[in-house]
Amino acid sequence: MIKFLLSLFKPFRWFIEKMDVDYDQFIRILQLKLTLDNRQMKGLGNHSKNETENALTKQSFAQIMFGIFFAIFLLMIKSPFTYYYFAHTFLMVMMAMMIISKFTTILFDTSENVIIQPLPIKGNTISLARNAHVLLYLSMMAFNFSVVSIIVAITKFGIISALVFSFSIGLNVLFTLFLANMLYLVIMRFASGEKLKNLLMYFQIVIAILFMAFYQFGINLVDRTQIQNMVLPVHWYTYLVPPAFFSGLVEAFTSFVFDYRHCIFIVEALTIPIIGIYLTGKYLTPIFNRKLMDLEQGDRVSKVKTETTHQSLWYRMMLAVFVHRQEEKASFKLVWTMTGRERLFMQTFLPSLGFIVIMVAVQFFRKNSFNVDELIHSPLYLFILYALMFVAASLPAALLLGNNGHATWLFKTMPLSSPAHYFKGFIKAAFARFFMPFYLLVSVGICVLWGYKAIPDVVIALLSIYLITLLFYYIQELVFPFSNEKRASQGGAAFIKVMGLMIIAVILGFLHFFLLRWFNYASLLLVPFYLGVIYYVNRVFVYKKINWEEVDKANAYS
Amino acid sequence: MDNQTIVQIHNLEKRYGKKQVLHGINLEITSGQIIGYIGPNGAGKSTTVKILCGLINDFEGDINIFGKDLRTHTLEIKQQVGYIPENAVLYESLTPMEFMEFIGEMRGLENEICRSKAKALMNIFEMKPNLNQRIATFSKGMRQKVMICSALLHNPDLIFMDEPLSGLDANSVIMVKEMLTHLAREGKTIFYSSHLMDVVEKISDRIILIDQGKVIADGSFEELNKLSNDENLEKMFTRLTGNTNHGEKAEAFINAFEK
Repeated sequence: MIKFLLSLFKPFRWFIEKMDVDYDQFIRILQLKLTLDNRQMKGLGNHSKNETENALTKQSFAQIMFGIFFAIFLLMIKSPFTYYYFAHTFLMVMMAMMIISKFTTILFDTSENVIIQPLPIKGNTISLARNAHVLLYLSMMAFNFSVVSIIVAITKFGIISALVFSFSIGLNVLFTLFLANMLYLVIMRFASGEKLKNLLMYFQIVIAILFMAFYQFGINLVDRTQIQNMVLPVHWYTYLVPPAFFSGLVEAFTSFVFDYRHCIFIVEALTIPIIGIYLTGKYLTPIFNRKLMDLEQGDRVSKVKTETTHQSLWYRMMLAVFVHRQEEKASFKLVWTMTGRERLFMQTFLPSLGFIVIMVAVQFFRKNSFNVDELIHSPLYLFILYALMFVAASLPAALLLGNNGHATWLFKTMPLSSPAHYFKGFIKAAFARFFMPFYLLVSVGICVLWGYKAIPDVVIALLSIYLITLLFYYIQELVFPFSNEKRASQGGAAFIKVMGLMIIAVILGFLHFFLLRWFNYASLLLVPFYLGVIYYVNRVFVYKKINWEEVDKANAYS
Repeated sequence: MDNQTIVQIHNLEKRYGKKQVLHGINLEITSGQIIGYIGPNGAGKSTTVKILCGLINDFEGDINIFGKDLRTHTLEIKQQVGYIPENAVLYESLTPMEFMEFIGEMRGLENEICRSKAKALMNIFEMKPNLNQRIATFSKGMRQKVMICSALLHNPDLIFMDEPLSGLDANSVIMVKEMLTHLAREGKTIFYSSHLMDVVEKISDRIILIDQGKVIADGSFEELNKLSNDENLEKMFTRLTGNTNHGEKAEAFINAFEK
């Protein structure tokens, strides 16, 4: 596959050499980068590194599958302009996500400078190889995502239309690359080093949540017949929306209409990406490379923020509520401080938070009549409270992620009777710091809407969520926090986990609901029950389950 | 072999933002020497080496290597220079052979020659069986060996080493030290930066000590010793970089526990 991709550059050899680039070196660097992509490490920790050789092929397959799902949605649309508009928007969003998630690490990885820079390679060759790598990657992705939509387009709008569509995808890739470059430069103007990485992380989280919101609302709220007959109107500002250029171009060649409206689109579609890529090569890349050089020294130059050692009132309160043993204090504090700074943790946890909020919102708006009176007399708030169980239950898995695998020896060298103390402290801290404030906020909202009589229910739901979170954490693989670089396999196990959680949430929710129906304060019976089980889990179960033998199996202490 | 000037540094200055790291360094280095480049943490050692290897391009002052200006003849100079960085940064998912092939091809070596050289070099370090295993599985010392081999692959005339012995076992340390003397005898120049004073004292023909971006001592150990009568390089280093009260500090350290 790599050989094939590299052979694509052969016809452009004269062009590449004209840019004052050593062709052989260029191809070799590109080959290296692709080989590295192809060999992404999978598996947990250092001890079980499974080596995969075909990461690219596997990834392509997944992308094609994703493209099929999208094509099913597109299949319903009759208007060619709308069809291509959505296809291009989808592509741009996917590529933007890809650039942000994958290429942020590649673009800002300056460690390889130590290898590449001392070699006799021209600056031009390095930057061209870098751009070609990104471009190749994006084109491959764009092709995979839209290959099914292209086939659908052939059957719907004919072969010429589909061919022009394929061509416009190429333009779209160039344009997105230009946009991404612009975006990075703008961001880099305002931030550097750690701050920059944090900024990109939040950006990524926001996009992920927006994407989910768009999808959820789109699926649930839009009528199917509406999609079928949807025709996007063309306003003056439509000429400023990038996907519209490309869809306008394709539509012109589908229905062979070349009025002034289509001509504007055609001109835009053809010129803007070309100008963009010219600007990228001529001005943006050199600036970018210079900034990258600075970035390497980044934190040394810019002022490094001093962290405050001051402990907030919230921390002290939560410590008093959750931690009653001296041994747990240190691990509680460790996770409390680190969760806020570990990017992988935030990247996993915050989107799940956003996702639940969106799901709940969709449920609200689904009933077209948003009637407050009716709402107050329904026990919908129970649904909201138990839906939050998914937020809390994503904490255990999120806690595993991070780049601190090499620091786990620390725990093993401490003279502590049982590792259970550590794990209790970890999950309590994560729960207290991230879930509690969010839950309190929602509770206040619920009490405003449903009145004070909801307070016991809020407490009961909290207890049950706490219990389930603890159990999830103690049962999962006993890896120390922030030590897995890659997400664990998202396959069957994760699915079963989510289904199991769903069933548990529904059962506990209904138990609560029926007791509430039975007589007014029957649900209060659950309070001693949950407290008892939590006590058992934290005092007996956890010490039985978590011992050094089990913990040593899961960690490498490298 | 007559000794000719290989590196000429004239008034080298470097700033990171507002912070000046190098305050005018002047050096002349002749061929066939092992230069021990020492100094406290943050003195500017690595920065100097990085500038000389072309990792950092914006600096003030003039540098001539092999009689050519570093700014204008970067590529030709890089062709004859080898660099062993402080931390063995390698592409983890490649094998040493693949890695060295890449480095060799970038330097314009024939693939066959490159492969046989890689084999020979790795064999010296007793790493031939590891040639086709991925670097990710290697220990720190093994990585360092790969790094050393790949830097010597093209037979450079000028070699920069930043703490090259870190992580190596005793046998390899002796071997590398021997290797360096051999290379110097062949007329190669070695620019050796380290914190291990006893090693530097033994192998260096000339010692350059910098502190806060300035050269504060320059000469062979014997020459330097005549001026001051320190019993070893470690003592001299301590005296010159202004940390003489180690005894007091150690005591304060002990006291901190007793509180």
